[in-house]
Amino acid sequence: MITIYKREVAAFFRSPIAYSVIGFFMVLTGLFFWINNIIIGSTEFSETLSTISLFLIFLAPVITMKLLADEKRNGTEVLLRTSPITVPQIIVGKYLAALTVFSVMIVLSFIYPMIISILGDIPVAMTIGGYIGFFVMGASFLAVGLFTSSLTENQIVAAVSGIVILLCMWFLQSIGASIGGTIGDIFRWVSLLTRYNDFAYGAFSFASLFYYISFTLVMLFVTGMNYERKRWS
Amino acid sequence: MIEVKNLTKVYGSIVALDNVSFNVRKGEILGFLGPNGAGKTTAMNIITGYLPSTSGTVLVQGHDIMEEPKEVKRLIGYLPEQPPLYTDMTVREYLNFICDLKGVELRKRKSQLDDIMYLVKIGDMRKRLIKNLSKGYRQRVGLAQALVGDPPVLILDEPTVGLDPKQIIEIRKLIMALGRDHTVILSTHILSEVSAVCSDVIIINKGKIAAAGSVSNFSATIGSSNKFMVHIIGPKNDILKRINGINNIKYVDFLRVDGDVNMFLVESKADIRRELLNEMSKANYPIIELRPVGKTIEDIFLDVVSKDAHVREEK
Repeated sequence: MITIYKREVAAFFRSPIAYSVIGFFMVLTGLFFWINNIIIGSTEFSETLSTISLFLIFLAPVITMKLLADEKRNGTEVLLRTSPITVPQIIVGKYLAALTVFSVMIVLSFIYPMIISILGDIPVAMTIGGYIGFFVMGASFLAVGLFTSSLTENQIVAAVSGIVILLCMWFLQSIGASIGGTIGDIFRWVSLLTRYNDFAYGAFSFASLFYYISFTLVMLFVTGMNYERKRWS
Repeated sequence: MIEVKNLTKVYGSIVALDNVSFNVRKGEILGFLGPNGAGKTTAMNIITGYLPSTSGTVLVQGHDIMEEPKEVKRLIGYLPEQPPLYTDMTVREYLNFICDLKGVELRKRKSQLDDIMYLVKIGDMRKRLIKNLSKGYRQRVGLAQALVGDPPVLILDEPTVGLDPKQIIEIRKLIMALGRDHTVILSTHILSEVSAVCSDVIIINKGKIAAAGSVSNFSATIGSSNKFMVHIIGPKNDILKRINGINNIKYVDFLRVDGDVNMFLVESKADIRRELLNEMSKANYPIIELRPVGKTIEDIFLDVVSKDAHVREEK
């Protein structure tokens, strides 16, 4: 697992993908930091993160798109499958590599709350809570991205279908809100994005944390099953 | 070393391998020979554990690939048709990654990699990115990959495809050298490769074993043929008449004329070279070339493959 992880992290930082995704992310956070926190003058950075989370729908599948799709196209899948390692080791190793890139993005964005804390009083607990929520939500997005990467040999198809799934998750929120009633509640319960609001407004929710983590695990499991299934078809 | 029993692989409605069984002894270099799409790659993919079989078993040193995949995978070095290379890595990084993947101990790693890189002659390329290497070098890096971890069994899928003639000779020499302490299965559709490299051969066609045996047995069939190509200076019709007059002659064909040299193809029931020489010298027609046209592995292969096609057509 560590073998796969090490290779994938190195591959990310050898290719332009990691740099462009991180760069794009930094531009976005900078922009919304400027609007939310400097112009409006709010000290709440978790709200800014909430806005950025929409863009994460587009960034997460780009991070993960090549992880499994590329192996198939390069013929390196044969290598992994004929080496003495197991499917979970492959999937988890690759997932953790993507999570590492995401963590780098998060760590770099710490600069903005630090600026806020110099200029004024930052609600520390709320910001930390917001970051935890942002991290687990991003982690679940990456799991969706890894899953779509296991479906195809084409990176672009992997990225686009990942984005589509995540967008549907986002729409579930607004659909749920407009339908109302039990079905609307279910939609909003399922939506990956609604749950982030708990964190954004400072209510640290263990239920949501648990939801994100279990969603991620289920997604990884499904990815592993799909990877194994392809061998048999 | 390797026991393959009743191996069958079905893709949807296509039968890629049909009840194939064979054994490979330790130290044997087995050639898998067959036209494109015969099932060579499928068989190799199953033995290496890349694909599951529909039915049948594969045992490598007594371990079943389906039941103990990890053990079997440790015993096998596999070079697939397309070398499995990460082109964004340098040769050295890539081979280190393979060492990690196969769990080669850290202290053995440097000497083993140096040995392998010397053996396949990629030492000068160790710092180059794989994407910048030529096809021949990529093939060698792929071969190096299969050798990492010193597996006792090597499975090589068309190892000389896309190489230039000099590289082909080098790789063949290397495979022969490896055959001394490894069990090797290699697939190819190049027949001379089998006679040059392999100790045993299996001809596979349309998912079935069409013929199998040691290469020396096949070569024996080759020597026993009484077919000759003969170049004679003299009038064509008279020569034909005289050759036809020799005992035991089966047939004689006029092929073509080049200046005053006539070329014939002669087949006989017994060795008639002596009589032929006597007959021609009596008439003062000098024989300037007499060459046996033996049955090559190529002929046997074509025989087997076309016979099979005939049988199918009749059905």
